[in-house]
Amino acid sequence: MDTNIVEVINVTREVAWLPWAVQYFFLIGLSVGGVLLSLPGYAFAKDEWRKLGRVALLVALTCGLAAPVALLSDLHQPGRFWHFYVVFRPTSWMWWGSVFIPFYVTGLLVYAWACFREEFQEQGRIDSRLAALYRLAALGGGRNDRLIRVMGLVVLAGAALVALYTGVEVAVIKARPLWHTPFLPVQFLMTALVGAAGLVLILNRFAADNDRAVEAQANRLLAGFLGAVMAVGGLWLALGLFGLERTHAEALESVANSEAWRVTALWAVLATVLPFVIAVAKPMGTGLLSGLIAVHSAWMFRWTVFIGGQTVPKTGAGFYEYALPAGPDGLLGILGTAGLWFFLLLVITAFLPTPRRSAPRPIRAAHAADRAVAAAE
Amino acid sequence: MDQSRRNFCLGASVATIGAAAIGAATLTPAPAGAAQARKGGDAAHRWGMVVDVRKCVGCQACTVACIMENDVPENSFRTIVSTYEVTEQGKTGSYMLPRLCNHCEDAPCIPVCPTGATFQRQDGIVVVDNTVCVGCAYCVQACPYDARFINHETQTADKCTFCVHRVDAGLLPACVETCVGGARIFGDLNDPDSTVSTLIREEAPKVLKPEQGTQPRVFYIGLDPKFQGKVDGTPTLWRPAREKEHA
Ligand code: SF4
Ligand code: SF4
Repeated sequence: MDTNIVEVINVTREVAWLPWAVQYFFLIGLSVGGVLLSLPGYAFAKDEWRKLGRVALLVALTCGLAAPVALLSDLHQPGRFWHFYVVFRPTSWMWWGSVFIPFYVTGLLVYAWACFREEFQEQGRIDSRLAALYRLAALGGGRNDRLIRVMGLVVLAGAALVALYTGVEVAVIKARPLWHTPFLPVQFLMTALVGAAGLVLILNRFAADNDRAVEAQANRLLAGFLGAVMAVGGLWLALGLFGLERTHAEALESVANSEAWRVTALWAVLATVLPFVIAVAKPMGTGLLSGLIAVHSAWMFRWTVFIGGQTVPKTGAGFYEYALPAGPDGLLGILGTAGLWFFLLLVITAFLPTPRRSAPRPIRAAHAADRAVAAAE
Repeated sequence: MDQSRRNFCLGASVATIGAAAIGAATLTPAPAGAAQARKGGDAAHRWGMVVDVRKCVGCQACTVACIMENDVPENSFRTIVSTYEVTEQGKTGSYMLPRLCNHCEDAPCIPVCPTGATFQRQDGIVVVDNTVCVGCAYCVQACPYDARFINHETQTADKCTFCVHRVDAGLLPACVETCVGGARIFGDLNDPDSTVSTLIREEAPKVLKPEQGTQPRVFYIGLDPKFQGKVDGTPTLWRPAREKEHA
């Protein structure tokens, strides 16, 4: 029967998870990705991963410290955040998040300190006004591979919990077919790794010594992550297109007729395929470009999931409209978190400039103390 | 005509007999965990609403009454009568659908709440303690009916409470009290003789989005399946939020 329905009166619900949430999920994702990329070089002491690992550690640290600020700002009553900690609410993934985040961030700080300890020690030996401060930061020690490994495993556990909760928290929401898919946590993790590899490429250029080997290595990793993103995305699409699973079909149906969503889909495909092709075809000399596209692609994914997802009414017809407000709940919030991240990067790289090394030093062969002496010479 | 009000007064004062009978016959009870977590309110009652959409004239008196009664901020609604223009086989008519919180028996907005601010009373009314709520909006996402919103005056989650303060005082919810067409009928589902129980028994009303498994306790008589879930139509002409954004 040919029925035409025009919605004359209904309510428009505004987005309730604000751009702050996009920033949080973006930053925490990149931080987790950064941790994972830093582990082989530091926690598992693989020489060929060490330089990339150091840049990845910068990604993990800067993003991981900025993320909770964005999360707190997404609460409409940020001053009441302590309400999370006076109850036991195991049915809420967000409540679990409030337990996991401090664990992860604390673990990350200690892990980063353990990784940077030898640099503190080296800086402490240089005759400068800050030498005492560096010596204090080194706590009278240098590189300790055992400590790094233990803390690496702790932060790995934290990262896994954060990746799990951030994904599942959103995926359990049955009310939104676009979110309610077991693929979402995997997609969050994969795009987070894409973003982290992308940011490694960018920071390698601007906040490290633009090492070509690191660039090629990060580009290869990026290509791998992008390949995984394409595979998972393709599977999600297939489930929806061929109606293999109802929620996926519903999700696709809810946006398929929208011009804006089709443009977004095309954009997403381009933002995945393009850096993939660049990274595979020319892994050297293209890092800045592939990195920028990759970071943008990870951000866009979250923007589309959160802001786009919330413009799909649950009962009403068509779509809710969203216009980015200029204030703290919109553009200012996005710029503010970006500014905070940049500030953290400046501070950390100012205190810990990239060590000048011609080649990675042998790691396993010598005793830790010997190495420290060798470094000082 | 005014059966709803008269019945309520009777229903509220009469002791509930055979409460379990109707629960078992037509309404699936909440999962054990959800039921145990309930607090406050009188477990003898289970408040619910039947909306007879055939009687709704779309006057929005309920919408206004709710705003006045509950001090709902501008641009926000705890209840609204969604109004549609439907053209079928060359004929055009209106379709009215009063929407509100369904006070679901298995409400997905409750388990997600990280602070316990959202909870269900023993009489089934789902409420938000806005002195506890952190405004994380997880519940807003989890409600399949878009029944919740962030109140920008309190910066906490807000929604229909069945006018819990009135119900506790033995009064009807404001929207029911004011309903011109007698389309909104409120009462005790635990009382087999209440109008709501009788209507549920005799009229086999439907609920919105039954596939979500939420067990709504707002029932609709004359609910067209085209309006049971997300409505497939051309979007609304009146968008208050747009004006706010552009203001
Ligand atoms: S309608 Fe929505 S807000 Fe109301 S009880 Fe059900 S899930 Fe919760
Ligand atoms: S907004 Fe308030 S009521 Fe809703 S889930 Fe968050 S803390 Fe609970």
